[in-house]
Amino acid sequence: MPDQPRAAAPAPAPAGAAAATAGPPDRAEPGAPATTLALSWKISGHARRLLTLAVAGLAVAVLTGRPEFAGLAAPALLLLAAGRGDRPAQLGVTTGLSTARLVEGERAAVTLAVRGTGSCTVHVALRPGHAIVPLPGPGGQRPGHATGQDATLPFTVRRWGRRRVGSAEIILRDRWRLAEGRAETGLPMLDCYPRPATERIRVVLSRLPQRLGEHTSRATGEGTEFGGVREYVPGDRQRSINWPATTRRGRLQVNTFQAERAQDVVILVDAAWDEGEPGDTVVDRALRGAAAAARAYLRAQDRVGFISYRYQARWLVPGLGERHYYRIAEAMLAQERDRSHDTGFTRLPRAALPPGALILVFSPLVDARLVETLRDLRQRGFAVLIVDVLAAEPWLGRGRTARLAHRLWRLEHQAIRFSLRELGVPVVQWDGQQSLDLPLAPYTRRTLVTHR
Amino acid sequence: MIAGQPAWPGRRGAGTWRARWARRGAATWRARWRYSTARLVTVAALLGAGCVAWAAVPTGGAAGRAGPAVTALAAVFMAGSACQLALATVRRPDTSGYPGPLARLGARCLDVLRRVPWAEAGTLAVLALEALHPARPWHTALLGAALTGYLFAVHLAESTSGRGEEVAILRSQAPVLAAGLGLLVLAAGSALLPGAGTGPAGDGLRAAAAVAAALACALALPV
Repeated sequence: MPDQPRAAAPAPAPAGAAAATAGPPDRAEPGAPATTLALSWKISGHARRLLTLAVAGLAVAVLTGRPEFAGLAAPALLLLAAGRGDRPAQLGVTTGLSTARLVEGERAAVTLAVRGTGSCTVHVALRPGHAIVPLPGPGGQRPGHATGQDATLPFTVRRWGRRRVGSAEIILRDRWRLAEGRAETGLPMLDCYPRPATERIRVVLSRLPQRLGEHTSRATGEGTEFGGVREYVPGDRQRSINWPATTRRGRLQVNTFQAERAQDVVILVDAAWDEGEPGDTVVDRALRGAAAAARAYLRAQDRVGFISYRYQARWLVPGLGERHYYRIAEAMLAQERDRSHDTGFTRLPRAALPPGALILVFSPLVDARLVETLRDLRQRGFAVLIVDVLAAEPWLGRGRTARLAHRLWRLEHQAIRFSLRELGVPVVQWDGQQSLDLPLAPYTRRTLVTHR
Repeated sequence: MIAGQPAWPGRRGAGTWRARWARRGAATWRARWRYSTARLVTVAALLGAGCVAWAAVPTGGAAGRAGPAVTALAAVFMAGSACQLALATVRRPDTSGYPGPLARLGARCLDVLRRVPWAEAGTLAVLALEALHPARPWHTALLGAALTGYLFAVHLAESTSGRGEEVAILRSQAPVLAAGLGLLVLAAGSALLPGAGTGPAGDGLRAAAAVAAALACALALPV
């Protein structure tokens, strides 16, 4: 986790900026106009306690005729009498986020510029939203608390999703700390992407499309990997002549190289069934694995497509580059709020599946329809590799019947895995914690064969 | 061996590293303690306990039968106040879904702890305990100073963000506090005079105290 909040904080708005609409903005916008908030002033807890001491001391003095109790009330009385000052009725607040997008566990910060406070001191308290965890600020600042007109509240997001940071309570205190003016402002939303698991190695197919890339293919071409030596034919480049071989054989020999190709990869995330502890559920694992795979293949200049399957299939056509990674991450967040029910799902859309693509599936293999779809894909000639992300078994209750049901469920799950293996679809288990390299390693040493 | 270098560089290096680590660790802890609200919570708890103990002595028959009960009550209130301050930053367990019994109990306890005005109740109990004893002006004056300090410590512990702001807050209020403590000394001194609190002077004092109480309410309540 980086030590500092991601990216620079937006510049605070100038003092006395124009009043604008109330309510939280949907996204952090640098230089956004200040929001005018009305303050509600109330007696502070400190004043209430001083008043208790003063009134009780004086009451005891009156009732018992002991002047020392009146003296005991004197400091509190003087402080209460002195506490008169200017109290603004409203203030201007500009809110911003250091970043609108981050990955689980990364640090970000809310910045607040409070204006129109007069001589009052400003205290800002963060009321965090779901999965938002306040962090200690600079200079020993308490988590979720800051002092001053320009406040910075660092935080982190525990779990992926489109999150509202929460709200910030602004507390103004007069010089004598006897009155508190409070106002609350909503904070912007941010996108928290799943934290990619570790994946350095890539599964490569035996037959690759005719497109330049980084994977060494079996065909000869213009790559850098040495392929072999053959006899010179007119038209060959002179610089590829292998002089030692030429000397040995007495005829001109040239080096040949293997072609370097890119492949199409489609990542399929099965989010139809979720189970497990929050933060380590089936969907959490699937998305973290999918993010890792997308990043690894995009770095190798492969085209990566994405299909998420919850109530219906949603897909992104394969694309290239860093920008496409963020498109995939956005699609991951979009499936969170997809509540549409489409039970007619049997086949994956053809548009999302380029011919000869490697299909990486992150699934708990619980949904029978998806299993049928995977069988269908295999029969259509696609190379399919399944990463089983089952995090927990379903809760079926206690007792003998429940145990029996549990055994049946396990047997059924094993049968599904067995039937897929019989079809030539490898199924590997991944626990979500270790590197993805470990379960995928057997399939990087020998290439997956496609049938076309 | 190279001139100017120790025969056992590793040993010397380890010693230096250890010493540096110890110095840095101590400095870090000192800095953390200096800027943490735990320090103010500790001060408030100690002052509260001191007030209760000071008001309770002597524990004999001077305070009557109610003495031990009021002492226990004051101690409970002060302990509640210390817990309230110490647990101010603890997040309330999430009870939005289907929380377990422990989470529900924890949330309920935190709610009760945060809602009850422990410090006010403790102040009242300490004053009642002091009033149960016969007149002892200097004792009461010291209790008054300690109670004022306790209330300030509670306020600073609950309202500062842990960056050493308390000095600035106290400095701005120092003149008024000094004047109040001066009045406290004067009141204690006048109480030591023979015949104070009796006759026309005592009636006048009572009337002044009643007017001051009314003024205090009038000043503070419409805030």
